[in-house]
Amino acid sequence: MIDMVKFVKVIPIASKVGTVTIRYPYDKPLVTESFRGAIEIDPAKCVGCGACTRICPPKALTLVQEGNTLILRYFVGRCIFCGMCADVCPEKAITITKEFELATDQIHDLYTDVEHELVECERCGTKFVAKKLLDKVKSIVEVLPEDRAKLCPNCRRLETLSRAATPR
Amino acid sequence: MPDYQLLYKYLRNIASSEPIDENTEKFVLQKDHLLEVAKVISRFEGVYLRTMTASDERNVNGFYKLYYVFGIDSLHKNIVLEVPIPEKDASAPSIADYVRAADWYELEAHDLMGIQFSRELPQNFVLPEDWPKDVYPLRKDYSIEDLVKLYRPRIEAQAREIGAEAALLIPIGPYHPALHEPEHFELYVVGEKIVDVKYRGFMVHRGIEKLAESMKYDQVPFLAERICGICGYVHSTSYCQAVENALKLQVPERAEYIRSIILEIERIHSHLLWLGVAFHLIGYDTGFMHMWRIRENVMILAELLTGSRKTYGINIVGGVRRDIDEEKIKKCLAVLDNLEKEFKNLIDIALAVPQVKSRLRGTGYLPPSEAAQLSLVGPTVRGSGLPRDVRRDYPYAAYKYVGVEPVTRSEGDNMARAEVRVGEVFQSIELLRQLLDKIPRGSIALESWEPEANKHGIGSVEAPRGEVIHYIITGRLSPYRWRVRAPTYQNLPAVPIMLRNGDLADAPLTIASIDPCFSCTDRALVIDLKSGKSRSIPLVLLAQKGFGALR
Repeated sequence: MIDMVKFVKVIPIASKVGTVTIRYPYDKPLVTESFRGAIEIDPAKCVGCGACTRICPPKALTLVQEGNTLILRYFVGRCIFCGMCADVCPEKAITITKEFELATDQIHDLYTDVEHELVECERCGTKFVAKKLLDKVKSIVEVLPEDRAKLCPNCRRLETLSRAATPR
Repeated sequence: MPDYQLLYKYLRNIASSEPIDENTEKFVLQKDHLLEVAKVISRFEGVYLRTMTASDERNVNGFYKLYYVFGIDSLHKNIVLEVPIPEKDASAPSIADYVRAADWYELEAHDLMGIQFSRELPQNFVLPEDWPKDVYPLRKDYSIEDLVKLYRPRIEAQAREIGAEAALLIPIGPYHPALHEPEHFELYVVGEKIVDVKYRGFMVHRGIEKLAESMKYDQVPFLAERICGICGYVHSTSYCQAVENALKLQVPERAEYIRSIILEIERIHSHLLWLGVAFHLIGYDTGFMHMWRIRENVMILAELLTGSRKTYGINIVGGVRRDIDEEKIKKCLAVLDNLEKEFKNLIDIALAVPQVKSRLRGTGYLPPSEAAQLSLVGPTVRGSGLPRDVRRDYPYAAYKYVGVEPVTRSEGDNMARAEVRVGEVFQSIELLRQLLDKIPRGSIALESWEPEANKHGIGSVEAPRGEVIHYIITGRLSPYRWRVRAPTYQNLPAVPIMLRNGDLADAPLTIASIDPCFSCTDRALVIDLKSGKSRSIPLVLLAQKGFGALR
């Protein structure tokens, strides 16, 4: 074929291919099996350790204290769907879903909270750790001194020091 | 209606008054009282600032003067506040907080009369940015003749410099019509010919190098990947390689293969995207549609292998986070076979279209000597015949296990750069076949590693647009310093050379021919105010002015 009219060869290609766009949302799913979408936190498994909040690159996961409650807050508006939180969660409480239809006209739809009861320091009253996390640690660490477990880190340090300094 | 007599009474108390005409009364005010008076006036409804003028009366009475004209609509009366400003201390309180309309007036008085106001003001609100310092044209020290001698508009000087009596300035940007990124080119044209070009950039500085200093090592790859929306994986790879090199970490071989595989997939989709945009720019939208249609399969493939169409998020220091199994390799090969066939068919047709050929051939010429001198990278330099390719020259990831021979063309025009990219799509498909075939078994990331402070490392990657290079100085928990250099940073100085003596209509394509990524380039604040080609960035100032004016 002469080079000058070679471009017409695109016509049979185009007619063979036809329409390539999908009739979303009625057609087959848009995402593959590997797709990473929004995360889901299982409140039963989460102990409120905050490991996910420390790795989260865009700070979509945060720990907030409101009164007696420790809240693990997931704001999907900031989420970059990297799934690092699921990688580091020691309790495997976080799963990566394929959810991507996240648009909403209500900003509070973008927040998910997991609430945790806090333990008070027996001495100074500071709320310092989620009860579930303390129970978890107690169940793992056998030699944890029971009398100091309910002291906040600062009071525990003072207590340990004062015991060490007191002549027996 | 407020009792305006109270206002008059107050003013007469604080200032000496003098009627100008039957409706206008002037009050001479010490500048220390100005702010208080403005506060009082602002409380009276229906009183508004009509104008303000600064005048140089040093010859007459030794003072600069500010005249604020307030109007009272319902009384049809004017109040003029005259505020003498001594020559020795040419400053005045700003009343813009109370009388918001005063904002621009003060800016003007500042620029043209050199009155300092008690607030931060941007330089050169009215005057051109290259206006000589400390020359206030409305002061009586200067006659028109003096000013003409003191300042020649830059465009005039430039026109003379390039020997064009009738050069016309055509701005492209601050937003590129096709690339959807902020940049600004000033094209000087005589007729249809471009005779000179200036570039201004750094409009989207994002401060990410600084941000990374407060992030942990394993968080930064996700930030790095967001430097570029098209070839982000090259940045996370560069970063990880820099840290690994600094800390002498040996990445598992399988991870190196996976990185190379994803990098080549990224190159294919990026080149197909570019070819589509290029066809769109020269009006061949059929080509654009088909390039993007076949690109879609590559996007889906990337998602299958990494979990995301773009910003793959699988790089961490010490390896990768997602493995590739036999089934994925099979799918990958099937997609590549299909792509190779379709791409070959379509690109043959597209490059044979007479209009496409004539728009690409001979336009945007970049001589090899200039390409070499400017240390250009990527398809831009390879299109001018220089075989520079990081994959071959500084092997990284799995490129040491497969041979990479740079694709080059010697013509140096837009067609050459397009053909380099076409060649590289085929090359990437071939490389991927080798990589997928040779990929060894093993782990995909280091179990653990310890950061060590004050180690230096370089990581470089051949991105679709050219060489990306990251420099790391390690800190204990975060990078101490992280320096990013994207390919466009290196390639932009070539654009004015390509544009000169070309047709105006070819400018958009020629600018696009380096596949520029302005946001990537602007990631850091490195501005040499003295250097000739890229000048200072007035947008920061413009933004200040805008907000100041709207406040």
